[in-house]
Amino acid sequence: MKLVMKGVVGLLVPAVVALAGCARVEPWDRDVLARPDMQLVADPIEAAADEHIYFSKEASSGGQGFGGGGCGCN
Amino acid sequence: MRLKVSLAIALALLCVAAVTRAAPPSALQPVEGRVIWVDFWASWCVPCRRSFPWLNAMHRKYGSDGLQIIAVNLDKDRALADAFLMEVPAEFALRFDPAGALAKQYGVQAMPSSFLIDLDGNVLASHAGFRTADTDGYERAITDALSKSRPQR
Amino acid sequence: MQLKNRRNAALREIGAPLAAATCALLGQSAPDVVQAQELMPWDIDTSMLIYSESDGRVQDLSLNIWGRKELREDKYLGLTLAVDSLTGASPSGATPANVVQTLTSPSGNSQYTVAPGAPALDTSFHDTRTALGASWEMPVARLGLLSVGASVSDEFDYTSVGVNARYARDFNNRNTTVSFGLALANDAVSPVGGSPIPFAPMLGVGDVRNKAGDQSKDVTDFLIGLTQVLNRHTIIQLNYSLSQADGYLTDPYKFLSVVDPVTGNPAAGPSGSGRFAYLFESRPDTRDKQSIYALLKRDFNGDVLELSYRYMTDDWHIDSHTIEARYRFNFGANRYLQPHVRFYQQTAADFYSTVLFAGASLPQYATADHRLGEFDGLTLGLKYGQETARGSEWSARIEYYTQSGNASPGAAVGALANLDLYPDLNALIAQFSYKFGKR
Repeated sequence: MKLVMKGVVGLLVPAVVALAGCARVEPWDRDVLARPDMQLVADPIEAAADEHIYFSKEASSGGQGFGGGGCGCN
Repeated sequence: MRLKVSLAIALALLCVAAVTRAAPPSALQPVEGRVIWVDFWASWCVPCRRSFPWLNAMHRKYGSDGLQIIAVNLDKDRALADAFLMEVPAEFALRFDPAGALAKQYGVQAMPSSFLIDLDGNVLASHAGFRTADTDGYERAITDALSKSRPQR
Repeated sequence: MQLKNRRNAALREIGAPLAAATCALLGQSAPDVVQAQELMPWDIDTSMLIYSESDGRVQDLSLNIWGRKELREDKYLGLTLAVDSLTGASPSGATPANVVQTLTSPSGNSQYTVAPGAPALDTSFHDTRTALGASWEMPVARLGLLSVGASVSDEFDYTSVGVNARYARDFNNRNTTVSFGLALANDAVSPVGGSPIPFAPMLGVGDVRNKAGDQSKDVTDFLIGLTQVLNRHTIIQLNYSLSQADGYLTDPYKFLSVVDPVTGNPAAGPSGSGRFAYLFESRPDTRDKQSIYALLKRDFNGDVLELSYRYMTDDWHIDSHTIEARYRFNFGANRYLQPHVRFYQQTAADFYSTVLFAGASLPQYATADHRLGEFDGLTLGLKYGQETARGSEWSARIEYYTQSGNASPGAAVGALANLDLYPDLNALIAQFSYKFGKR
């Protein structure tokens, strides 16, 4: 399992590097990404409620991060 | 092959020259002031909301002195820009660039972005983003530009 | 929470004095009128959630408030409050039997009976939980964002205190964001009646020889993430997280049935206890979890598709997969309908055991807690939301969550073969939220 994990993470890094080069959305083209429903966590209260429910009923938790997306202003 | 490369380089230099040297693009006309503040904004940009009252204040303070503020809107949907202007009125000139051609020409790096230009199209100052904490600096750039552009007596 | 108009108005009025009070706490004078207009006003989001399992099992009523305020330019204070009231019965870990079972309650002061064939649910489970969180978010140079926070959660027998810090940095003209997160928590467990000695037998009412004192655990969470804008309509996020828990990880209220390996009938407990044989569970005192998470959000002409996948693996040998999808149909500028589906699958912990067999040697660790067993979960939900004329938004969602799992291999011996060793879980989730408009 640890080897699988290392492999997956090992794939993530080059994927990341590749992805970073693949798109360049100009600052004035961020209108869609600026919309509240396009944020990574569109509804924090719903996300927190779900996280609490599934944390209490299952053996897994978390995973979701933060940062990025949105209007990219300033 | 070498010809194509040199042509490409020449074109690139020309583009750079176009931004920094050419006369203000026709899209900005009519141009009335001696010093022009070109501000790129959009309805979905939160700092833009904060910048408009300050731009209005600058317009009131330096408009008669030769400062012209031209705010270029980059919304793809004109209705959104209109709704924004209903809430946050602008006392200065507006232009609309939904395709983003002007923004691309000026090399806008962030929303909002401002370029202080003279009548020859030279970029005297520029900044990416808008922060209330930095407005003193922005105002100083305006006053410097206005005093430099004052006609010789 | 009854969301009557006067309550809404009161909450809106709270905004300004609350801001002033918070500013005073942070050592700066309250913003004067001109400044307050330049800074974003309070963003307040409230919700009420009902979680209800069938068959008389867990019921939870939860009230939440989430608030965010720009106190200085680009610097935000976040505050959250959650109050949960939990009632209903919860599986004790014992298996059903063909005879009446009498079990001592966790406090050791009373007992309860389980009818023949019925699931062995502990009905004395009720608690109120209060959780508070605070965070401070500020930019670092032009392209960085730092958020630090603290949280505290308290219930009758459990207190958790934690701190967290997160940092995100944009690259590539803000098309790419790399983020790091670290969270540390300390949980103090003071179970009703004391924490049971691992594998101690259940004793009669008033006999506390099988109990010890309070316990605690420490949890460290680390996350590294990458967010990438793919095009004007699409954004993805990839996260890797690591979690390490150290200390008391056992559930103090759960035990395992000891049964005869041939007949499946409960074995006799300690003499004089008046009980069958039940042994309190025992889990390792460390747990290392790793997970990778991928999220995609894509705009389709105003509608939004959200797709995510999470893989989790830990050193208890639990592996899980979670796939979740939401599609938000946006109608006009102010209404939406969003169906939701979630698939979940996990394997059992290597020490999960539905029963223990009399005469067999005791394993190093054992638990009959279904949450560490092998099961599939499915959630189907629908959410509707609407923006009001004043710019506020209310939404309501209803979801159905079901879990069905398998008892550990070889557990269904004798009489147990005809009993439901791993009852399905069926729960209804209903949530009503109200986001106050920024006017």
